[in-house]
Amino acid sequence: MGAPELLQFALAGLKNGSIYALVALGFTIVYASTGVINFAQGEFVMLGGMLSVWAHSTLGLPLPLAALIGILGTAVIGVVFELLAIRPRKDGDPLALIIITVGGSLLLSNLARHVFGPSERSLPAFTAGPSLRFLGATLERQSLWIFGLTALAVVVLTVFYSRTRLGRAMRACSINRTAARLVGVDPKRLVTISFALAAALGGLAGVVTTPLTQTAFNVGSSFGIKGFAAAILGGLGNPIAAVIGGLVLGLLESMSIAFLSSTYKDAISLVVLLLVLFIRPQGLLGRGGREKV
Amino acid sequence: MIVNTRKVLILFLAALLLAVPLVGCSSDGGKDTSEKPAEVKDPYRIGAVLSETGTYAGLGAPERNTLEMEVAKINDAGGVNGHPIEIVFEDDATDPDTAVAATTRLIDKEGVMAIIGATGTGATMAMRQEIDRAGIPQLSPAGGTAVTASFDPLVFQTPWSNSLVVPFELAYIKKQGITKIGLIADSGGFGKDGAGVVKEKVAGAGITIVAEEAFNAGDTDMSAQLTKIKAAGAEAVLMVTAGKEAATVAKNMMDLGMTVPLFGTHGNARTEFIEGAGAGAEGFRFAAGKILLPESYDSGSESYKVATEFIDEYSAQFDKAPDTFAGHAYDALHIIINAMMTLDEGFTPAELRDAIEATDGFVGIGGVFTYSATDHNGMTEDDLVMYQVTDGKWVLAK
Repeated sequence: MGAPELLQFALAGLKNGSIYALVALGFTIVYASTGVINFAQGEFVMLGGMLSVWAHSTLGLPLPLAALIGILGTAVIGVVFELLAIRPRKDGDPLALIIITVGGSLLLSNLARHVFGPSERSLPAFTAGPSLRFLGATLERQSLWIFGLTALAVVVLTVFYSRTRLGRAMRACSINRTAARLVGVDPKRLVTISFALAAALGGLAGVVTTPLTQTAFNVGSSFGIKGFAAAILGGLGNPIAAVIGGLVLGLLESMSIAFLSSTYKDAISLVVLLLVLFIRPQGLLGRGGREKV
Repeated sequence: MIVNTRKVLILFLAALLLAVPLVGCSSDGGKDTSEKPAEVKDPYRIGAVLSETGTYAGLGAPERNTLEMEVAKINDAGGVNGHPIEIVFEDDATDPDTAVAATTRLIDKEGVMAIIGATGTGATMAMRQEIDRAGIPQLSPAGGTAVTASFDPLVFQTPWSNSLVVPFELAYIKKQGITKIGLIADSGGFGKDGAGVVKEKVAGAGITIVAEEAFNAGDTDMSAQLTKIKAAGAEAVLMVTAGKEAATVAKNMMDLGMTVPLFGTHGNARTEFIEGAGAGAEGFRFAAGKILLPESYDSGSESYKVATEFIDEYSAQFDKAPDTFAGHAYDALHIIINAMMTLDEGFTPAELRDAIEATDGFVGIGGVFTYSATDHNGMTEDDLVMYQVTDGKWVLAK
């Protein structure tokens, strides 16, 4: 196997990895504010794709506007979901909330099936044109959008958490909810905001991957699994951890294909994930006993 | 280092939960019947187990459309010897366990005398225990080889099975002067089944497989697998899958700058594939029945008449041309109805089964069916043609 092939495998891994990372970011945000894994996160990816396809193909809106509708529409659905399903559960019992999100994810995908129909749909690439070539490997233009938007999301989130009042309040709340409330932070409002953010990021992932992979009402669960694995691998800590988890998972998969077998790529990456968790239960970048946003 | 055990436990439970909802257990369970009869005679009831939700929802929807449309037509024409036909629909959510439960309900609660279904091969196979228990015939619109290769006297199949399509396609590939292929298949029922047949038949066709790759439903990128196929020096890529990932494979090949031809199978005979793959679909070739292009039936033949009539009616009613899956449901229903027509009133399910097996030269959408005591697929390679995507449309391949 030559260098161009290796580079190609690496690019394939990074491409899948950035998609996983975008989904993992959403898991991380909701986990930080509520302590639960939101199993509807994958459905946000599906909704972002479906809404933008609907806006672009059915309403005939230009692609950038359709993408925006996909992202904002998903954020609105995320907020509604939080208000109707998460907030009424006042004691915040994580186990109950997790089950609520599982139910929510089934509800969202079945609703999408009825509203948008059972067929897969697609969007045109953001930038038309042949794929880019360098050093014997190729990369489609859409991948650059995926890389760029993932990087942008991380930068924006990092700045948001460290520089803005709201972001700091969210961090405070995730470190100690009671103490945060004592100094005047309203945790309920922050949970709603975190769902909006997570849904918007999921929607972004859906919009940016649909030109590559198409979308359908039932794609949410597989995005959810991979994003969840990436988030756990990274350690559910800060945005950087989620991205590293995603990229490592993507690379693991493509290297399993390169050197072992594509039949078992998911099994191989899962075994590595389990090994990492045995050695470092807090994930690659997580810190034991303390949660950091 | 302190690890918060409660959090670890919750994460673990969360991971367990993950596996449960993915299967999609959203059967509406509700009874869903077609037009109520106005006649005096009791209706003949047929059960239909279709994937109206879940992965195969895109296949189950045209199947249900077809059954509803055709049953209305049959009943308007007086039903079977004055008995209207009533179809009881069940959604299996593309889940074998749900399909089994639906079958049990259809048999024990609804008292159906035959069952059409399931949409998928896995669910079709799972239903067999219940079919055998009740002793009623099953007509499956699922394309897996196992449906008829693992023979059951009660089970019949309407699509071209992989064991029919694959040798036909390999012969075509060989005729193009190609001897080394890379095989890429999904790890689900259809892909695994097809890949098995390919591996079994390549030697006989004078072709070798230089790379064999797999992907899972929901995968977002296959360029790593294709890079391996490319590096192995394949002269063509043969893809076996019925899922939306087919479009990703075609697109990845184009993006990788692979110039070798891509071949698919009857699982890709959907316009969504062309839409999804865009320019990557150009030149894509696959074997399927003739319904995609009615002119491939000899015009003036009975097949041509049956097919164009069905296509026109379906297109008028649903605003979309019927795909091959609609055709499989059409054939399943009409084979049962034709068999019923040959029987006297008060027939038993066993007699119905015998009459279905006696189907001889039934001109359907998928082809001309002749079942026998050993052949429950009933079609031949004459019912297949090679298609090619040119300018975003299917044309007959040279």
